[in-house]
Amino acid sequence: MNLLAISINHHTAPVALREEVHLSTDEIKLFLDELKEKYFSEGFIISTCNRTELYGIPKDAGTSYLELENFLVEKKSISNLSDEHFQKFFSCSALNHLFKVIAGIDSLLIGDNQILGQVKESFQLAQDKQFAGFLVNRVFDSAIRVGKRAKTETTISDGAITVSYAAVQLIEKIFSNLSKKSALVIGMGETGKIAAQHLHDKHIGKLSITNRTIGKAEQIASEIDAQILPFERFKEHLADFDIIISATSSPNLILTKEEIKTTMKKRGNAATVLMDIALPRDIDPEARNIDNVFYNDIDSLNIIVEHNMKKRKDEIPKVQNIIMDELISFFGWYNSLEIAPTIKSLRDYYEEIRIAEVEGYKNKFSKEDQEKLELVTKRIINKLLHHPTTELRKVAEQGINTTESATKIALVRDLFGIKNKSNTEV
Amino acid sequence: MKNAVDVSNILLPLFYLASFAIYLYDFQKDERRLSNVKRLFLFLTLVFHTFYLIARTTAFDHPPITNVFEIFTVLAFSVSFSYFILELVTDIRGTGLFIIVISLIFQTISSIFIVDLFQVKEVLRSNLLGVHVLHALLGYAGITISAVYGFLYLMLYKDLKLNRFGLIFERLPNLEILEKLSFYSAIIGFILLSVAISIGVIWLPKAFPDFSYLDPKLVATFLVWLLYGIGITTKISGKLQGKKVVVFSIIGFGIAIFSTIVTNFLAKSFHAFY
Repeated sequence: MNLLAISINHHTAPVALREEVHLSTDEIKLFLDELKEKYFSEGFIISTCNRTELYGIPKDAGTSYLELENFLVEKKSISNLSDEHFQKFFSCSALNHLFKVIAGIDSLLIGDNQILGQVKESFQLAQDKQFAGFLVNRVFDSAIRVGKRAKTETTISDGAITVSYAAVQLIEKIFSNLSKKSALVIGMGETGKIAAQHLHDKHIGKLSITNRTIGKAEQIASEIDAQILPFERFKEHLADFDIIISATSSPNLILTKEEIKTTMKKRGNAATVLMDIALPRDIDPEARNIDNVFYNDIDSLNIIVEHNMKKRKDEIPKVQNIIMDELISFFGWYNSLEIAPTIKSLRDYYEEIRIAEVEGYKNKFSKEDQEKLELVTKRIINKLLHHPTTELRKVAEQGINTTESATKIALVRDLFGIKNKSNTEV
Repeated sequence: MKNAVDVSNILLPLFYLASFAIYLYDFQKDERRLSNVKRLFLFLTLVFHTFYLIARTTAFDHPPITNVFEIFTVLAFSVSFSYFILELVTDIRGTGLFIIVISLIFQTISSIFIVDLFQVKEVLRSNLLGVHVLHALLGYAGITISAVYGFLYLMLYKDLKLNRFGLIFERLPNLEILEKLSFYSAIIGFILLSVAISIGVIWLPKAFPDFSYLDPKLVATFLVWLLYGIGITTKISGKLQGKKVVVFSIIGFGIAIFSTIVTNFLAKSFHAFY
């Protein structure tokens, strides 16, 4: 299969370059049009924050990787992008790479949960542009199957691998139903904002946020349906919260052990989770010694992240087995599209019918007529198959596995119910 | 029938051992395919144990409650049966090995030391006594399971406090669930013990006309029952929560076991039948 692919990704280029190459949805649509016009008979583009990749079936055999690289460089007007920033794939390796991407084992964060959806969107764009033909649609089906199998048959995406999400995972180890709990997030920097977003996604019962700059807090509060506490007065309300996450950039502690002790008394010693994800720390680490207080800082959350990351890495061989399964299945189908085996299968198919029918009526003929029956039925089959066989051979002369030949062969195989298995046996 | 009882007596600890091994393996490996296999194996073990108890009752013409080692096999069954129901109802599957190990211990001791009694005191053939003992043992199974969940709570609590994120952290349900499991098991145990005590009080004057309400067994049982009653009431009223609930359950269980040992083996009580 002449699937061609180039990829610029986190293995080959720094984030600054990846940002420059990144394509918006509108850009992808424009690029698809141009690729369709100049280089590919069918294809698609994947572009996420960590990779931009072009895939396609070349219109002519002379299409080179360099042409595609130059196309990207020129279209995006990037001067400092060179050949070494690209990975190049062809045929089986291109498919293997796509499968690794969609399964999340080529991602910066192994087992990335978003990549399957992102690749699906790329497929959708190609289909909308009618740039996904007979072969690429089959590639889509196989790739999506790989992505789904990796998620359901392995634990490649299990466990938190970011500090903010690890904090939420830890909270779920203490409380069973977050919809009945209340949480306060102190500090609305990037980390605090992500933590608040995670709590919102987990349907926390009551979410409050506080920040020195009230404007920023107001903007985030409207996005995640949170209440705002004035930063100067948030300590008066500490006892109202089961979960307190702190992520400010304060150089000093903002919550002391004594303040936590007082809060616990007010709460009747009910379990309280303190997540200090600030650097330097916001909450006195000595608070961990108070009964029913579960204190965690970045170091302890990083233990969870590293542990989960190792477990995901351990799952890679299982995902690779799935990829191998699907590659074998795909190429089993693809190889069945060759001309000679198809002609033979077609003839076998007719011959089986002929033999079965002759056997059924043979006894109604005399010995001499039986030989004539054999002869006549064979001649009928040969005449019936003469034209289709000649046409298929003409297709073969156009070149092995061009899109047109593959389409015609697949049609013949579908019409006559010729399966891959019988072909493999040929 | 006697042969079937003897063979079952040898096989039962092996069944519990196999169930325990599958639960242990699954706890360590967390393999999805074992999730239903282990439950099925525990079910088969319980079916086999039911057969054993019926066969034993039929073969010796009395329920298996006439000596401490017969009681142990019923207790082994009660604990695993109660856990099985709990697992079905809650679908929390990660704690089975901590409960099944108790059944394994009780059943192994029972299988080794059990004796075949054809002749037993007439009082032990009473149906009311059978109902009394069954409720008492299921009640004890309840408070045993409550204590086990209490221990699991404390293990997870300690790991969370010390930032240890190993198997206990990964496999056990969260602290609130463990607290609930411990509390609900204690409630079920308390209700069943209440029924057992009520039946005992009705049956006692008929069976032992000269018994005393100050009998050590009666006093100890009443104190344990009272302790659980106070604990449950305090929890429901909201004055007891979190770690204190499970500590209360563990202390209650410790006192229940201690009082059983003292009253059964050391004190002279009408309640000792063997």
